[in-house]
Formats: sequence, C-alpha cells, structure tokens
Amino acid sequence: MVLLIRALPLLFLLFLLSALPAAAEPPPEASPDNPYLAELLENARRAELHDAPYWHTLLHYKRGLFGLRSLVDDPDFFLAPDGKHDPRAELEATLRAFFLPPPEEGKHPLCRFVARYHWLKERLSIDESRLPVPGCEPFERLMEEIRPESVTLVFPTSHMNSPASMYGHTLLAVETSYKSDLLSYAVNYSAITNETFGPFYIVKGLFGMYEGYFSILPYYAKLQEYGDVNDRDIWEYPLDLSGAEIRRLMMHIYELEDIYSDYYFFNENCSYDLLFLLDAARPGLDLTDRTGWWVIPIDTIREIERAGLFRSAAYRPSKSTKIKYLASLLSREDRREARAIAGGGRNPEEVRDSAIPDEEKITILDLAGEILQYRYMGKEIPKEIYQKRFLNTLRVRSVFGDAEAEERYAIPAPPRPDDGHRSNRLALGGGAVEERTFWEVRLRPAYHDLLDNEDGYKKGSQIIFGEAVVRYDPAGEKARLHALDLIDIVSIAPRDEFFKHTSWKIRTGFFRRTMENGRDYVVYDLNPGFGRAYDGGFPGIVYGMIETDLHVGGALERSWSAGAGASIGFVGSLTGRWKAHLYGRDIVYGLGDEDNRFEAGLGQNLVLGANSGLAGEVTVIGERDETRVEWSVLLKQFF
Amino acid sequence: MKRIIALGIAACCVAAFAATADAARSNTGCGIGTIIFEGKDGLLSQICAATFNGSFGNQTFGITSGTLECEKAPTFVSQEKLNHFVGDNMDNLAMDMSKGSGEYLTTLAVLLDVPVEERPALYAKLQANFSNIYSSEDVTHIDVLNNIEMVLSAG
Repeated sequence: MVLLIRALPLLFLLFLLSALPAAAEPPPEASPDNPYLAELLENARRAELHDAPYWHTLLHYKRGLFGLRSLVDDPDFFLAPDGKHDPRAELEATLRAFFLPPPEEGKHPLCRFVARYHWLKERLSIDESRLPVPGCEPFERLMEEIRPESVTLVFPTSHMNSPASMYGHTLLAVETSYKSDLLSYAVNYSAITNETFGPFYIVKGLFGMYEGYFSILPYYAKLQEYGDVNDRDIWEYPLDLSGAEIRRLMMHIYELEDIYSDYYFFNENCSYDLLFLLDAARPGLDLTDRTGWWVIPIDTIREIERAGLFRSAAYRPSKSTKIKYLASLLSREDRREARAIAGGGRNPEEVRDSAIPDEEKITILDLAGEILQYRYMGKEIPKEIYQKRFLNTLRVRSVFGDAEAEERYAIPAPPRPDDGHRSNRLALGGGAVEERTFWEVRLRPAYHDLLDNEDGYKKGSQIIFGEAVVRYDPAGEKARLHALDLIDIVSIAPRDEFFKHTSWKIRTGFFRRTMENGRDYVVYDLNPGFGRAYDGGFPGIVYGMIETDLHVGGALERSWSAGAGASIGFVGSLTGRWKAHLYGRDIVYGLGDEDNRFEAGLGQNLVLGANSGLAGEVTVIGERDETRVEWSVLLKQFF
Repeated sequence: MKRIIALGIAACCVAAFAATADAARSNTGCGIGTIIFEGKDGLLSQICAATFNGSFGNQTFGITSGTLECEKAPTFVSQEKLNHFVGDNMDNLAMDMSKGSGEYLTTLAVLLDVPVEERPALYAKLQANFSNIYSSEDVTHIDVLNNIEMVLSAG
C-alpha cells in the first residue's frame, strides 16, 4: 500500500505523459464537410448498404444470443468504436476513412480494407479520382507477385496420435502461374499457441482463449508437415472459382492480415473461418451460415461440395502410406533387405550386386530411402548417420535409371472421405438384460466408431464425442439415461516390421452400474489404456491393451473404486459390408470398493447404405460373482 | 542457364549477408517458430517469408545459408524461388533425382524454365549425375544448385 501511494505521483506523471502526445496531435480526421463524402454517405444510407448480406460477410457479422456481432475480435478490424456490433456505424466510418490523407507510414484504410473498398466502390460507383489515395497499390503488387490462378481446398486427414488433429484440418492452396502444385501458397487459419498438449490447451481452446490468425506458407512446407512428418494422407479438391472470385478471395485474405478472432475448438475453428474466404469470394454463398455449433472439417467439405464448388478429388498419400505400399510390392526377403539398408546392417551396393531382377532392386532401394527419411523426421536416427546412409542409398539407386518407377508406384486412392458416412448418428432399437427387455435410443453428435462403415475413415480408429444412451423399460414404464460417453477414443494401430505404433484408448463419461442391491446407479468412469495391435494377414486386427479404470459415484460404498486390468480383441471386416468386434476385458478393482469386473462381447454391424447400418451386440458381464447376459439390436442412421 | 543460376546464387549470398546483419530487426527469421506461430508481419512480407525463408529446416542436409531478406529486385524472383525451393526440399528433391522422376523434380524443371518436351532429357541427365550433384554428406543447397548448373552446362 505504502509503495502504491509513493508510486502514485509517478503513475500520474506517466499517465500525463502518455496522454500528452494524443492531446497535442489529434488523429487526422476526414473533413466531415467534404461534399463527395457526404454524398456517398447519403447514397449508402439510402441503399441501406449496411444491411447488405455481403457487408455482413466481409465483416463476419453473425446473429448470436445477444444480437448481431462480428466474430472478429481484433479491435484493429473495425474503424467505428462500436463496429463489432454496429454494421451501419462501421460502414459509415469506413467511408469516412477512405477520405483520410495518405498516412506517413503504414497502410491507408482503403488498402487495409481492400475488399470493403472494392465492394463499396462498385455499389456506390465511387469515383477513385476524387479520393485522396488512388486505389491500393501494395495489394496490386502482391497480386502481381502471386499471380493466383486457381484455388484448391486441402484436407489433411486425421492423425490419431494427436488428439488436436483428430477431425482433420482444412486449408486452401492458391495455385500460381507456376505450373507446380508444390509452389502454391497454403492459406491456413489456426490458433496461435505455444502450449504443448495438455488440459490447459483443451480448456483454453474450448473457451476461445486463443487467438486465431490466417497465415500463408508455401504449400510444400505444409505437405512436409502433414504428409511427411505427421503421417496424414491429404485430399485435394480443386475449387471452381472464377478469376474475379479468386481476386475477391485474395482481397479478403489481405484484409484479415494480422487480424485475430478468438479461436474455439468446436465452432469457430480452422475449418469454419476458412469458409469466410469462400463466402467473400462468391457473394451469396453463405457457407458460414450453414454450420451448427459444432464444426467438423469434413462436414464443411461436404457443404462446399453441395454448394457446387468442386467435383473431383485428388489423393496425396503420406510418407507412411508410401512406405506401406512399396513394402506391399516386395517379398518378405526383399523387405528385410530394405530394412537392413535403412538400419545400416547392409550396404546398398550389396543389393546392387545381388542376383535379383533390377526392378526388385529399385523398389528395395526406393523403400530404404523412404524409411530412412521417415525415421530421420521421426528423430529415430541422428542426422549424421541419416545423411550418410540416405545419400549412399540414393547414389546406388540413381545408377538404375527407370523413370517409370514413379508410375509403378501409383498408389490407389482409398474411398474419398467426403463420401464417408456423415458425422451425426441416431440409433434406435432394443434388447434385453437377462429377461428384462428395453428399448434404446442413442444420439451421437460425432463421429465414428470401430464398427461403423470404414470407407473414408481411418481403419481401427474410433472417435466418439457426447454419445447419450437412453433406455426405456416397458415393465417399469420409465426412461432413463443409461450412459453418456463424453469422450471415447480408440486408436488401434497395427505394428509391423516398419512401424512400431502404440495403440491406445481413452474413455470418460457416465454409465449406469448395477450395485449389490440389484439396482443401478450412475457412476463416473475414466478408463485409459494402451497396448499393441497386429494385422495378422487375416482380414482384421488383433489387439491387446493394459487398462486402468476409475469409477466415482455416491452409490459406491467408498464413493470410488479404481483398478487395473487388460483387454484383448479382434476387429475385422469379414466382407466389405459386415464388420465384427470380438473382445474380452477384465479389470481388478483393488482400491476403494474392491471388485472384479469381467466383460466379453461380440459386436457386429451390417452396412445397409452409405449412411445406415444394422448393429447387433451380445455382452457377458461378470461382477460381484454374478454373471449376466445383455443383447441389443440397433438400427443406425447417420445424418 | 549458367548465368541465371549464378545470378540467383549471388543474390542469395548477398541477401543472406544482409539478413545476418539485419537479424535483430527481422521478424521473419528462418525456422518454423516465427512464421507459423506468430504471423505478426504484414501479408506482403509474410508471403515473402513464406516463399523465401527456409521455412522448415528439419528436412535439409544442414543448410546454413537459407535465410533471405525480402527486398529484392523483381527480376530475381524465380531464381530466389529456385534457391528456396531447393533449400527447403533437399531430401525430397534428392529422392526424386535418384529416381529420375517425381513432383519435386518436375518443380525444379519448372523453376529452371525447362520446356515440357525437354524435361525427360533433363531428368535423365540429373539422375545420371546424381553423385556429382549431391556430392557429399555436407552438401548445401548452394552446392547442389552450383553442381546442377555445372552438369547442365557441361553439354
């Protein structure tokens, strides 16, 4: 306190000093009585331009719970003090700002908001020669530099090991007059954070505590990041945009330079904000109005397709997909050779001089090169060793010629992700626990489980958010919440000679547990696990995991119960339309309430159509020396 | 061809020197951190940074002089692009070159301004001379470009 009092005069002085320059030099004001400005303001008022949908698109105005506001949070984006909430004030302030004298440094408002300027110029037939600055020269220079010719929507699919990327991501690639996709510019919207993954990251992301910015990188850098380092296959959708539309898109990117919006994982995320660019490109598109409070990248892609912006899709396999494919072309012996070269146990020259056909040698060497690169980027081998082995391998490889290799390696594209089942799911059905029958409704906002139709999704992956299960008991005539899976993620990634993946799972939510008195109560459940999986050549994957489980609930004797155990299972697709999951699981609860819980089940799903399926499940559960059998049949519909 | 590459390399060296001298001011430094995570520059310079700075250094053979400032004579644009493309994609380019085909090699041809019909010959030549181009473990992208130029000018 004393310190504060002592500091007060100093603070006051600082305050004065900071206030002084502003008082001495008021910011330049456009002369309010400029007759041309007055005329434009009047015309804008008469035409009610502030209500025009495109004005709202450019300013990101959306109607929310508390009325109209812009989703942009950066004060620098607005020229009127209340521009965030007042489209009319913002429009008038924008017009006034066009009449400001050229600034000594920095950009003139007409340039900073070049898309607004061009739209207003068109709508009000603004005579450029009567403005203090003649158009926006830096923007024109930029366009000259980039020479954008086409735009592609890019979808790096999910990467299971990083929860932040589970839904995938979308970005735009702006192709230039260089006839090479690698030289395109990648336009990307993302949250700026230094936070590494953790609870902090999730909470801040959920509540909009990060700032999202647009950034631009060479497309090849993005390809390295996603395809080479992160194992993410990429899909490219060339957009059908005219030259004028591309120009508008560029203008809006230019306006959003250095401007942030609060970033929300669920709705105002990377995929959502990207839609503003397309809305700005083509007036009336209004893609940003077509999403709910839950924006999943693949859903935005489907909306963009429905709007008629693309037809075709191109597939760009990741490095790990390439490795798997090259390996599939080789015999076991040859694969071992490739691994030995990558591992340093064999000189590439020995392969060169061996008796096998050249074509095999080539594939072995190409595979070895890919493996080396992959391992180096995964920081599995030090740089010095990598450089040596990699270059050595390539040197030997280069002796063989064979320009056709690349064509032989054309990796067949899997089903398109946008053709996969939709994200929301409703399931209706019924079943019985022992003799007692029930009816069941399941509603799930996202996204995919192990038994759902796999086309377009990652094999062995399950991502469930917020699935609610309500059961109706016809005998007791009551409906009750049976389970609420907040998060239920399973990543079953098979290991093989090249990839040593760890499979993992995490489930948390609430479920109804039968207690000793025969009644059931809702308990909270947290169940992580990790283990290994193998693709046995059989049409399916076997896995085993070590798990722990925590239950918390008032109905438990000590309010909690924790244990550890293991699970094994098999997920297979016996025909294209029929999937099955057979599993067994045992957890010994040694802390809190002591118990042993055993569970074995067989789940099956028959694919009826792209968005529907019929699922059946039989489960045997043993706890507290009692065993019960449960079965259910559900009709599933995605929407 | 020879002159074009030489000019590009010269521009790169001058700019690299300027960049070093200017490092304190510049916010568009080399490396993933500043560019991707900060985005604090104007779009024009961001685009420059994006195109011209070694944006993802972990993919290279240890390139040391990949930083360029963005002020440049416009006629060197494509040469600077060439520099940075090669600097940023040393490994993938090496891979394609050893195979004699691939997207990275095609992009190199585009940046070298080689007409489509002459590209197969170019690829074959680069592949045949792979050991001369990626001549040692500590080759830099400048060396690679020099070597390419040498190979191509050898007739």
